[in-house]
Amino acid sequence: MRKYLVAYSIALQETLQRRSTLLMDRLGGLAIVVSLYSFWSALLGDQPSFLGYTRAEMLTYVLAINILRSFVFTGRGWLLVGDISSGRISSYLVRPVSYHGYALALDLAQKTVHLASSLVETSLLVLAVSGNLFLPKDPATWILFAVAALLSSLIFFFLEMLVSSLAFWTSESGGPLFCFELFLQFAAGAFFPLDVLPAGLRRLLAATPFPYMVFFPARVFLEKVPPSEALRLLSIEAAWLLAVVLAARWVWGLGVKSYAAEGG
Amino acid sequence: MSSPVRRYARIWARTASMAMQAQLTYRLGSAGFLLGKMIRLFFFFAFITAIFSHVKTVAGYSLAETALFFLTFNLVDMIAQIFFRGVYGARRIVSEGDFDFYLLQPCSPLFRMIFSSVDILDVVTLLPVLAMIGVLFARLPPTGWIQYAAYALLTVNGVAIVLAIHILVAALAVRTQELENAIWIYRDVMFMGKFPVDVYGKPVRWVLTFAVPVAVMTTFPVKALLGILPSVWIAYALALSSATLAFALWFWRDCLSRYTSSSS
Repeated sequence: MRKYLVAYSIALQETLQRRSTLLMDRLGGLAIVVSLYSFWSALLGDQPSFLGYTRAEMLTYVLAINILRSFVFTGRGWLLVGDISSGRISSYLVRPVSYHGYALALDLAQKTVHLASSLVETSLLVLAVSGNLFLPKDPATWILFAVAALLSSLIFFFLEMLVSSLAFWTSESGGPLFCFELFLQFAAGAFFPLDVLPAGLRRLLAATPFPYMVFFPARVFLEKVPPSEALRLLSIEAAWLLAVVLAARWVWGLGVKSYAAEGG
Repeated sequence: MSSPVRRYARIWARTASMAMQAQLTYRLGSAGFLLGKMIRLFFFFAFITAIFSHVKTVAGYSLAETALFFLTFNLVDMIAQIFFRGVYGARRIVSEGDFDFYLLQPCSPLFRMIFSSVDILDVVTLLPVLAMIGVLFARLPPTGWIQYAAYALLTVNGVAIVLAIHILVAALAVRTQELENAIWIYRDVMFMGKFPVDVYGKPVRWVLTFAVPVAVMTTFPVKALLGILPSVWIAYALALSSATLAFALWFWRDCLSRYTSSSS
């Protein structure tokens, strides 16, 4: 465990050292939030609610997206693709560490910095919109939200590992990963609440782990899911996590067996 | 056709052909990227259509008008992606020393850096966008040829501003060998052009019109088509693109004069 903590600590320092990259990443994310926030503001206009969301709830959803995006969607998929394609993965395979554990430690460091940044940005935006927001009344909601977000983040990490492992068999795994990431962001509700979509499409998405990654935690925060239902959905999310972890490890095992490297 | 134009057209055709062949070689990867781009287009279009099944207007615009704003953003963005794709590798070209070879060749290094790569996948994605714009033209109330001409002129003008931004990013890469994320900031800020600028608050609108002219690139053409853009703003848009292009070219020359090679 200690070696993963050391990896986390070094990665944290490295992320903080690249301040211009971090600043630019955050500025880009902020542009998306301001854009969505303004769109929903204009859409709601003088209406008291839209699709069951009051003005405060809808705007809170957009701000929650900013926090969840920074915490959930910072994977290591592209780096794994690069490591396998370039052969760098060989040096990790001979070390006494689990690659997934090591990558998770690095990912958590990145998540820590991005989460802290997004909290500062969101606080500034909250000040800018002068309190027109929804805050949970029940303290348990905060705990449920945190657990849901943590599970979402782990599901994303292992899903990315799963898709990126395609690189063991083909040098063209970047395309499927790009496609997967884009689809996932929409299917997770990272741009808009999934209630907007037609019922058929919503039902289809409900049978996948994607809505649990942003849409579900955001609805928990907005107290639109009763506590008992939230617990049931959390257990489904945990089951999805288990399934994704097992699948990622299985595919990883197959990939490592088929992997071959030459040269030094 | 004068000789330099013909020569550059041949260089572009050759490099574009090579880039396309490379993309076609990686079929799985290219299919993934293409599918991802289509998914992004489909989901945003589904989102806008779904929104308008619940409301009649957003910021005073109908479904057809809002869709046209979105598609015009895509048109400008995709043209830039198709023709100016080379900038995405600018930092690598400089830091790995390839830029030194560009300087030795009997061809403008700026031309080589910006235009030397063509994304054929965006050509494929552009076709449905053009088709949908055609459908929307037919659905909007009839308008005069002057409005259509103004739309075409301001769309080209938007592409010229995007070109200026890409030149600035290329110049920064030559000057600093860093700022890899600069082009991604542009991409994220351009996200704000997906919606008409009227959805934003006054300060953001001002920024998007004068400081980071996303509105000039994406909102102005549609407003001109709808006949709601005063001619003074058309003049402003044309002056702005001339000024930004002139500044970008001056900055490029300045950065080039300070370049001392960064790799052996």
